[in-house]
Amino acid sequence: MPAMMRRSQFSLFDPSLDNLSFRADSDDGGMAGNTTPTESSAFYDGRTGCNSNLLSGPVTYEWLSQADEARLNSSAEGFHTLHHKPVLSREAMNGDKPSSRFSVINEFNFWRQKPELAEAVAAIKALTAVIRRSEATTMMGLEIELKKAAETLKMWDSTSISLSAGCDLFMRYVTRTSALEYEDISAGKSRLIERGEKFGEISLKARQTIANLGQEFVYDGSVILTHGYSRVALALLKLAASQGKRFKVLCTEGRPDNTGLEMAKELMNAKIPVTLILDAAVANMMGQVDMVLLGAEGVVESGGVINYIGTFQTALVARSMSKPVYVAAESYKFARLFPLDQMDMSPTPRVVDLAVPEQEGRIKIHTSGRDYTPPQYLTLLFTDLGILTPSAVSDELIQLYL
Amino acid sequence: MVATMPDVLPLVDDFCTKLNRRQVEGSLDTAKLALVLLRQVISAQRIPPNASAGVLIDAIKTVGVRMIAANPIELAVGNIVRRVLHIIREEDASLATTVVSGVTVAVDSDDEDNLDIREQASSHAVAAANRNVLRAPSLHNLLESNPSPVKADVTVASTGDSTDTKSRSGDKNSRSWKLKHNVIESINIMLNELQEYHLQVAEQALEHIHQNEVILTLGRSRTLLHFLLGAKKKRSFQVVVAEGSPRYQGHKLAKELTAEKLSTTLITDSAVFAMISRVNMVIVGAHAVMANGGVLAPVGLHMVALAAKRHAVPFVVLTGLHKLCPLYPHNPFTLLNDMKSPSEVLDFGELSDCLNGTTGGAESHVFNPTFDYIPPELVSLFITDTGGHNPSYVYRLVAEFYSPEDIVL
Repeated sequence: MPAMMRRSQFSLFDPSLDNLSFRADSDDGGMAGNTTPTESSAFYDGRTGCNSNLLSGPVTYEWLSQADEARLNSSAEGFHTLHHKPVLSREAMNGDKPSSRFSVINEFNFWRQKPELAEAVAAIKALTAVIRRSEATTMMGLEIELKKAAETLKMWDSTSISLSAGCDLFMRYVTRTSALEYEDISAGKSRLIERGEKFGEISLKARQTIANLGQEFVYDGSVILTHGYSRVALALLKLAASQGKRFKVLCTEGRPDNTGLEMAKELMNAKIPVTLILDAAVANMMGQVDMVLLGAEGVVESGGVINYIGTFQTALVARSMSKPVYVAAESYKFARLFPLDQMDMSPTPRVVDLAVPEQEGRIKIHTSGRDYTPPQYLTLLFTDLGILTPSAVSDELIQLYL
Repeated sequence: MVATMPDVLPLVDDFCTKLNRRQVEGSLDTAKLALVLLRQVISAQRIPPNASAGVLIDAIKTVGVRMIAANPIELAVGNIVRRVLHIIREEDASLATTVVSGVTVAVDSDDEDNLDIREQASSHAVAAANRNVLRAPSLHNLLESNPSPVKADVTVASTGDSTDTKSRSGDKNSRSWKLKHNVIESINIMLNELQEYHLQVAEQALEHIHQNEVILTLGRSRTLLHFLLGAKKKRSFQVVVAEGSPRYQGHKLAKELTAEKLSTTLITDSAVFAMISRVNMVIVGAHAVMANGGVLAPVGLHMVALAAKRHAVPFVVLTGLHKLCPLYPHNPFTLLNDMKSPSEVLDFGELSDCLNGTTGGAESHVFNPTFDYIPPELVSLFITDTGGHNPSYVYRLVAEFYSPEDIVL
């Protein structure tokens, strides 16, 4: 349930949606403007997380954060109903194919439920389902439908990098495929569907590949520090343990989500000696650590990573004590972003649960959920494309978009 | 698994024994011998006419695994094996595209209505073969399947009649011969490059060494000697040589430099930090360069690199491409080091004094490692026979000269 609340918080409080509900009464061509969010300024999209062309003027970050705080004060039930509202109203107003719009999100959520599937893979499977249901008669038509579906997915959760990276990857593949000539639309469609299905298997294999590559770096007697919960890092450690290597893991707690607890539980199930440490104890324990192993939410063009809050800190401490920092990330997390500083990403506020609940309403809490670690603090990235140095990442991205 | 041709087996055994007994040492000599041996393996290998490069690749892999196992520390052997495999794959790919276009020409005489479609299909196959055969797994082809070039020409030629099939098999025969021929030619080119890489490196010396500079080095490197002599032609500079215990190769280098009338100063290893502030540049040779830009260099050079970093002195490494290894150093301080005899450090006579009288065990230990691992952050520049490169650029060189399928043999 907290996961549901985290999603698209800014679209919840998007004043444009109030405009939309207003316009529902007057059925004029004003809808057309709403269905093309891509025309909005990319800069404002990135910084404010909503579409500026629907508003009268640019929205400032302070305004949105105040609005967010005001919303946080309302009840949890209020979230739930509000959450579904924008989807319904948008879908009710769009005459063209409301069912396909709605089902993309449904499909995505359906695949998302499976714990082993990453977000990007769920997105690609949802897009594959769109292709299956599509009634387009040309490849161009199919492409346009897919583009719309991809935009919907991205707007659904504008803060998830791996989701948008996965969508971009699939769209790129579709545009490339449609350039090749097929005798008829059904052959093209079936090829796309087949590749989309294959992608699900590839992604599972990706974790295996990364685990194989990375477990070489774990040696007997090593102490590994992890931060947050990463399925890829977990697979790596499990594989190393199954190879008979003896090592110890230090897990940070990972507040405010307490993801470190889940990680520690999984490691214990795999019979790996694990110690849970406070986030604040990273520097304290770094002297004993031999290497730091992290997952990633997204890998950006500079070779840096965007990951759970606290990653940058860990990397900084590790760098200052000359400990290697390894990141395990699948290649579909490579995103075309280039953050220049910590504020340069769409914000993901988390619900911070302080021990003193009555103070919550009065004290300002900084609730950012993730941070950006620049490439100079990373030693190597383990990906299914091989082991990469941070400088090799932009090369890979360029190759994709050539 | 293809059995190695019997006439080459004794040669392979001989080379492996030499490696095992450390009778051949040094990356250049090892690389040359390995390359010559692999060339003989290829020319002796009989390829059945309807097979592709897989036969050759298997043969080289079998021999290569043996050679690497004989001396795992000598990374040049593995590098050469992997480069030969990459050459085979490259030549196979380029031959595949020419074969496909060749078969299209033969089919041309058929139905003219379908000509366009077939041409398009074949050009797609050619383009696909070009694109996909040698591409390392990348974001670009993450979602694509890889069409094999053999499949491509089969589908195109399937519409032809029996005369075409005959010409196809004749084509294949010459194809495997062509493959061998091309591979051996490339190997000869690589041998030439190996012989002369120190000259190529020395040609770049004038760009890096300037008038009245002071250069520091440790131990002796043949490439470095040629590099300094290359610069000496037009510049006058001084060299400070650290002796490089326990082998004291620095003495030899100092003598050679003095013979060439270069002003040389010999210092002990411990004096490096004292001298480093008076030095403009540190230039050294390397044993191997790893895929992350880290360097395996003679022992003592990590210390020099740290001193250079501390005083902001550029640390330049001279290397040849045969020293470029596509592997990553997992645990660099222990796995890739060669422990030599402690008698080089402490005479056996004195060593026996360290032994415990009653139990015969050793009270004190003497370690004599051969190599140091220098992490990439301490290296400023790599000068190779192809030019100067940043440590963060090494991954590109690796991608250019090695195929990812060959990393794990």
